[in-house]
Amino acid sequence: MSEQRPKRGLQAWLNARYGIDPLLDFLRHKEVPLGSHWMGWYFLGGATLFFFVVQIATGVLLLMYYQAGEATSYESLRYIVTKVPFGWLVRAVHCWSAHLMVASLIAHMFSTMMLKAYRPPRELTWVSGYALFVVTLCFGFSGYLLPWNELSFFATAVGTDSVKSVPVVGGWLLQVLRGGADVTINTLYRFFAFHVVVLPLAAFAVIGVHLLFVQRQGMAPPLGEKAAPRGMRFFPNFFLRDLLLWLGCLLVLIVLAAYLPYGPNIPGMEWDLGKKADPLAPAYPGIKPEWYFLWVYQLLKEFPPHVFGIEGPQLCLLAVSVLLGIWAVVPWLDRNARRDAPSPAFTDLGVAALLFIGFLMLKAWDLGAPAGVADTIRAQVAARNAAVLVVIVFAAVVVGRSIAGRRWFTWSATATAHAVLHGIGGVPYLVAGTVSAGAAALWLAVARLREGRQR
Amino acid sequence: MMRRLAAVLCLLTAAQRGVGRADEPPTPPSSALAKLLADPAVDAKAHAYFDALPARAHELTEKAIAGEVVTGAQHLAAILSLAMPPSVFEAAMEDRCFLCHSDPEVHTGDTLFSPDPAAGGHPKHMDLTKVVQDVHFRRGLSCAGCHGGDPTAAMDHDHPASWPTDSDRRHTDRRWIPEFCSRCHADSAFMRQFNPGMPTDQLAKYRQSQHGIVLAAGDSRAAQCVSCHGVHGIQGAKSPRSSVYPSRVPETCGACHADAKLMAGFKLPDGSPLPTNQLEEYRASVHGKALLERGDLGAPACNDCHGNHAAMPPQVASVAEICRTCHARNGTLFDGSKHKEAFVKHHWPECNVCHGKHSIARTSDAMLAPDPGALCQACHDKYATNNPACKATATYFHAELLGLSASLASFTDRAELVARRGLDADPMHDQLLTLSDSLKQSRSYIHAFDRSEFNQATAPGHASIASLVELEKAAEGDLLYRRVGLAIAVVLIALLMLLLWLKVRRMESGDR
Repeated sequence: MSEQRPKRGLQAWLNARYGIDPLLDFLRHKEVPLGSHWMGWYFLGGATLFFFVVQIATGVLLLMYYQAGEATSYESLRYIVTKVPFGWLVRAVHCWSAHLMVASLIAHMFSTMMLKAYRPPRELTWVSGYALFVVTLCFGFSGYLLPWNELSFFATAVGTDSVKSVPVVGGWLLQVLRGGADVTINTLYRFFAFHVVVLPLAAFAVIGVHLLFVQRQGMAPPLGEKAAPRGMRFFPNFFLRDLLLWLGCLLVLIVLAAYLPYGPNIPGMEWDLGKKADPLAPAYPGIKPEWYFLWVYQLLKEFPPHVFGIEGPQLCLLAVSVLLGIWAVVPWLDRNARRDAPSPAFTDLGVAALLFIGFLMLKAWDLGAPAGVADTIRAQVAARNAAVLVVIVFAAVVVGRSIAGRRWFTWSATATAHAVLHGIGGVPYLVAGTVSAGAAALWLAVARLREGRQR
Repeated sequence: MMRRLAAVLCLLTAAQRGVGRADEPPTPPSSALAKLLADPAVDAKAHAYFDALPARAHELTEKAIAGEVVTGAQHLAAILSLAMPPSVFEAAMEDRCFLCHSDPEVHTGDTLFSPDPAAGGHPKHMDLTKVVQDVHFRRGLSCAGCHGGDPTAAMDHDHPASWPTDSDRRHTDRRWIPEFCSRCHADSAFMRQFNPGMPTDQLAKYRQSQHGIVLAAGDSRAAQCVSCHGVHGIQGAKSPRSSVYPSRVPETCGACHADAKLMAGFKLPDGSPLPTNQLEEYRASVHGKALLERGDLGAPACNDCHGNHAAMPPQVASVAEICRTCHARNGTLFDGSKHKEAFVKHHWPECNVCHGKHSIARTSDAMLAPDPGALCQACHDKYATNNPACKATATYFHAELLGLSASLASFTDRAELVARRGLDADPMHDQLLTLSDSLKQSRSYIHAFDRSEFNQATAPGHASIASLVELEKAAEGDLLYRRVGLAIAVVLIALLMLLLWLKVRRMESGDR
């Protein structure tokens, strides 16, 4: 069909020089698979990319006025938000877009997980996406310190401090990260270098690889529908929808930035400049990290100082590393999906991960805890409320998936039992986790035994 | 080449020798010392302390053991537990008074100094820990400095002539103490060796003080040197551990003045009994809270108004001058006011008529209120009934202060709201600082009791309020501009989205 079109104008000019016809042909024939699943999941990657572009654009604008330095970081940012025309808007958009980018990235990752889009031949697409997730978190962590205000200073001090729990190289790593024993202006210099040079270069490279994989292999069709019966043309049908979504994202972004320029005032989602950092001042009370680090923060709090002779934080970081490691190699673990067969255990693993992380986040947010009471009471009330919410979500998932004919709930039931034992039963977090995991292991062993006998 | 190599080898050998000397093990302890150190009474902390002491300290310890002034492990453990600095330790090991009176095998009861006298049921001034921390002991003036005798010779107890050897007299009649301490403390040539900046007029001042007068009259309940400074364990006045450190002065004075039994019989000039509630009142006062709760060492303690060694209750004429040492401007304003004349006429002691003495509370604008019970009104109702202009002035002051105060609170909240909306609140914060300062100044200018002077202080505050109104209007205008801009952007984006959607719909209906 393309051969029939007359070649003239810019296209002919470019084609004569760069041979763009094959690329245009590719775009014309590229299709997005349509199937039994909701198509909306396909747009999350594009939304994440849109927020990333906004970050680059607003980041460059901020860079025109921001001056890293002990006497200038805070002052220049203050100047940006008070004196520079629309400086407040640029910073607000940058902050909001950062949070929305992380949110859409996480949603994109979980949709990939639930739909098993990581199955062969797209394992490396999952891995490159995972790398982008890590780069994005590093963006968030490094950018947080740049205002050099009280909150960012002490949150970075607490955040970097956990690095020293890494066995053998922990102390060295802490020195490298901070540029010294403590968080100083040297820390800010290296965080700034990472935030505006190293991480953007890394992000461009990994996004390039990720998009190359997606373009090469196309978007994953629904599970079990290898030969998609029908597809939607990528260009212009899907692309125009993408554009529509990006405009929607822009709309949401500017409304949020204009109405809540310093964030919704929720711990982990606030960027009021406040007071300038004073390294000699006592630690900022109630320091909490950004919302996407909250679960790790809460998990660190749940671990006692020592567990079986091992330091609690060390064991916690080990647990987090194992969980993230499992997440990274899911495409190779999920044997059913590799055969293009339904894989309810891994769908349930995704649900369990959401319940596990959600419980910790809600507890860290002191969900529904009354003010003016002892911290221990607040923690108990928040844990109870979070457990109740986890139970409600679990019940909804069980009902929904049962209707769809799925019967695999072991992981999500384990996460729910963990939350209930700790939040409602008052059992210490680690004990509750061990009991729940033990019960799950027993349940699986019995099921396996029964299965063997039936055979 | 060979020569260079030889030189390097020589240097390396020399360095090696140097290292060898530095690492050379110390002389091993004698068997007697080793035996004492091996005793379980000498714990690991004491061992670590002893090991870190210099060789000279080790030698003196050996000498003390050989001379049988340190005999038992308990004794050695007690000395080591004091963790004295090396120089003090060395001085102590040559002081027979210290060594003998800290040996539980030689002394018991009231003559034994131990690290924990309470455990043995001994008086608290026999605390060895306090003794080695005493400013005199640390500067080389040990037991013999006061008690006499030769610390290098055994069993020499020649007391100085001014030391009352009769124990009963020594404890019941304290008149000898000020003279005894002044042997050194009134001798400027002697004191110069230790602290050239230290005054030497304490005795002269003390004699003129109420305490000195009462003591000279033979009443040994009166405070003298040791009542405030302690006995064994005296600290320099600038040490936070000292009983005369600013934050500890109220407690030290209160040890006697809050004791109703001890104060029984003492009277005020008007013949009434000396009250004992000063400490309680002071603790609740604005000064007491600043010093004792906030740790503000600039806040006055008892001695800042009553004096130190020359302690006296301030008289009517002097009390206002004492307040003026800190509250200078209020005093100057009062001196130029109409009230000055009236207060002199009534022999009123100025400041404390309105503010109180030991129980000075935080001032409040309500003191000026036009209510019958309020301070100004109550006093004028009693003493100046036929003077409506004065009452009107008080009412004016009250209304003005309330107005400034309410504006400050209101605009502080409004500036916060402006900042929360992402608008520039800095100019408002600058004006709020001016307003707050003006309010403070105005409260001080009350003491002139004159509208025109008061108005000079309130004028910057009123100007700030006018600026704040304008700044708030400008901020609201800026907000409106932003909202309109946002609305236009939202409409444009929404329109573009609609067009796109229509385009997709049309395209796909054509496809079908």
